[in-house]
Amino acid sequence: MEVTFKVYRKDPEKDGKPGRSNYTVELPEDATVLDGLLKIRDEMDGTLAFRASCLRGYCGECMMRVNNSARLTCTAKVSAYTKKGPEISLDPPRNVPVVKDLVFDWDAFMWNKIKTVKPWLEPTGEASDGENLIPDAAMKDLRKVMSCYYCGMCDEGCTVLPVDFNFLGPAALTKAYRFVFDPRAKDTRERLKILEQPKGIWDCVHCFEADEHCPRGIEPTKRILAIRDKAYKVGITNEKVARHHASFAASVKESGWLDEGRLALESEGLTNIKGLMKLLPTAAKALLRGKAPIPYLHAKRPGADKIKKIFEKGEGEKK
Amino acid sequence: MKYAFYPGCVSRGGCPELYPSAVKVSAKLGIELEEMKDVACTGAGVLPQHISDPINARTFAKAEQLGLPIMTICSTCQGVFAQANYRLKNDSEYREKINREYLAEEGLKYKGTTEVKHLLWVLFEDYGVDKLKSMIRRPLNGLKVSPFYGCFIRRPPEAITPTKELSRRKNYLDELIEILGAELTDISGKGKCCGFPILTANEENSLAMAGKHTGEAKEKGADCMVTPCPLCHLNLDGNQPRAEAQKGEKIGLPILHLPQFLGLALGFDPDEMNLKRHIVSTRTVEAKVEMLT
Repeated sequence: MEVTFKVYRKDPEKDGKPGRSNYTVELPEDATVLDGLLKIRDEMDGTLAFRASCLRGYCGECMMRVNNSARLTCTAKVSAYTKKGPEISLDPPRNVPVVKDLVFDWDAFMWNKIKTVKPWLEPTGEASDGENLIPDAAMKDLRKVMSCYYCGMCDEGCTVLPVDFNFLGPAALTKAYRFVFDPRAKDTRERLKILEQPKGIWDCVHCFEADEHCPRGIEPTKRILAIRDKAYKVGITNEKVARHHASFAASVKESGWLDEGRLALESEGLTNIKGLMKLLPTAAKALLRGKAPIPYLHAKRPGADKIKKIFEKGEGEKK
Repeated sequence: MKYAFYPGCVSRGGCPELYPSAVKVSAKLGIELEEMKDVACTGAGVLPQHISDPINARTFAKAEQLGLPIMTICSTCQGVFAQANYRLKNDSEYREKINREYLAEEGLKYKGTTEVKHLLWVLFEDYGVDKLKSMIRRPLNGLKVSPFYGCFIRRPPEAITPTKELSRRKNYLDELIEILGAELTDISGKGKCCGFPILTANEENSLAMAGKHTGEAKEKGADCMVTPCPLCHLNLDGNQPRAEAQKGEKIGLPILHLPQFLGLALGFDPDEMNLKRHIVSTRTVEAKVEMLT
C-alpha cells in the first residue's frame, strides 16, 4: 500500500517557520500511522521529530492530529484513511507551542494545568494511627480515572481550548476529580474553590467531545459535571455562577419551568448596573421583534407544586 | 403518528417563534402532538443530576401513562432527557429508588419504557424520508445552508448514538438540507458547542464560539444556518451582534430554527414561520425563498 504523509515541519534551529514535508512510503496493509512515521525517520529523513514510546496504545505518547482529528498514531490504521484517499496529513495539536515538527510543549499543553489542580491527596478529618484503609469498592470508580495515561486526546478534542488556551481543560479537571472524590478527603471545599475559579469547571461547555475522544473510556466530561454537582451541593463559590444557578433553580422550583428574563437579570446581578446595561441593546432588539421574555411575569405550569416537592426533596439529599 | 410533545422553555420564552413554527409544521406533516403541559424544565444541564433526574423521571412517567413517545424540538432538552433516560432505563435499582422516593407520593411510577426523540430524529426514523420528500412543496434550490447541531444532540454516544445504525443521527441535519433541495455549506464546527452554556461563566469565550461558527459559515458563502437547538439559536442569532463587536467584523448570518427551515420547504411563507422575530435580519433568505415561489 502506497501512502503519502504530509507532515507538519518546524525547526527552531533553522528559520523556525512552519512548513510541510511530503513522504511517500510503501507500507503493509495492517500498518499503523506510527509505523509510517518510524519508516520515514529510519529510511528517509532522520531529522523528522515526533514522540512515541510503547507502540501499542499503552503510553499515550504519540498523540497528534491525523487528517485534522486527534489520534494515537500507534492505534490508527493507515488503511482506515487510505480508503478516502492516498494522502494523510499529520500535525501537532492545535494552538500549542511547537518544539520541533510534531513535538510540542507538553508543559504548556497539559502539565502546568495539572499542577494547578494540586494533583495530590490532602486527607482531611481525624488522623489515623495506622494505615488509612479504604474499602476496595470506594476506590473502584477512582481506579478508572487513575487509568488515564495523559495522552491529551481529551484536551485536543475540547471545544473550549481552541478559543481559550488557558482553560484548564478536561485532562487536568479529570485529575482533579480523582482527589475531589477520594474517600480520604472528607472536606473538599478548599479544593473546589480552586476548581471554581475562572478557567476551571464552570468554563466547560459539557459538549462531551472529551468523552468521545478519550481512548480509555474515562469520560472526562462526566467527571467535570460530577465536580460541578458536588460544588452545587456544598455551595458554589464562583459568584456569577452561583447567581445563575440560584436563579435557574428558583424559577424551576417556583413555577416548574424557566423564567429566562429573570435568569438574564439575576445572573448579572440586580445591583450590577454595568452588567445590566450590557444586556440593554440585545433586550431592546428582542423587544422590538416581540421576542423578549418579560422577567417575573411568568405563569406557573400546571403541576408546579408537585415539581416543587420533588425539587425540594432532591435539595434535601445534600444534607 | 402521535407524540407527547415537549416544547421546552425556550421555544416559548427567548425563542417564541419556534413553538408556533413547530406546531404548524407538525400539523402539515400529519404528526399529531399532545402537548405535555404539567411537566418541568429538564434542568438544561444547569440543574445537578440529583435534582434533574427525578424531575425528568416524572416527565417520562407521565408520557408512559399517555402511552406515547416524547417529541422534543430542542437539542438541549433532547440531550438532557436522553442522558437521564439512559441512566433510568439501564439501572433498575436507581429507577426504583427514584420511583420510591420521588414519584410514589404522586402515584406515579416510571417503568423505563418511554422513548424520547427530537423532531429531527422523528423525521428520519419514524416519518420516513420518502414521505417527507412527497410533502415538499417548495424545494429550496439555490439556498446555501450550513448545519449546526448543538452538541447535546450528537453526544454522549451511549445515550445518543447507541448503535451503529443510529450513528447516522450525527448526519441527519446535513442530509435534511439536501433532501429539502438546499445546498449544504459544510462547516468544521457544526457539531461543536455554540458557547451558550458558558455565557454567564465566561462571556468572552461564549461569544468567541458564536463568532467562530457563524463567521466560518459566512466565509464559506452560506445564506443561513439551521439549528435544531433554540439555545444555540440564542447565542448564534441573539448574541451575534455582540459576537461581531467582540470579533471586530460584521457577520450578518441569518439563523433558522429547524421547523422554520422545514416549513419553508413545505410551502409556508416566511411570515408564517415567524422569520421576522429574529435578531439577525432574515431578509436575504426571505428574498431567495420568495424567488422560488
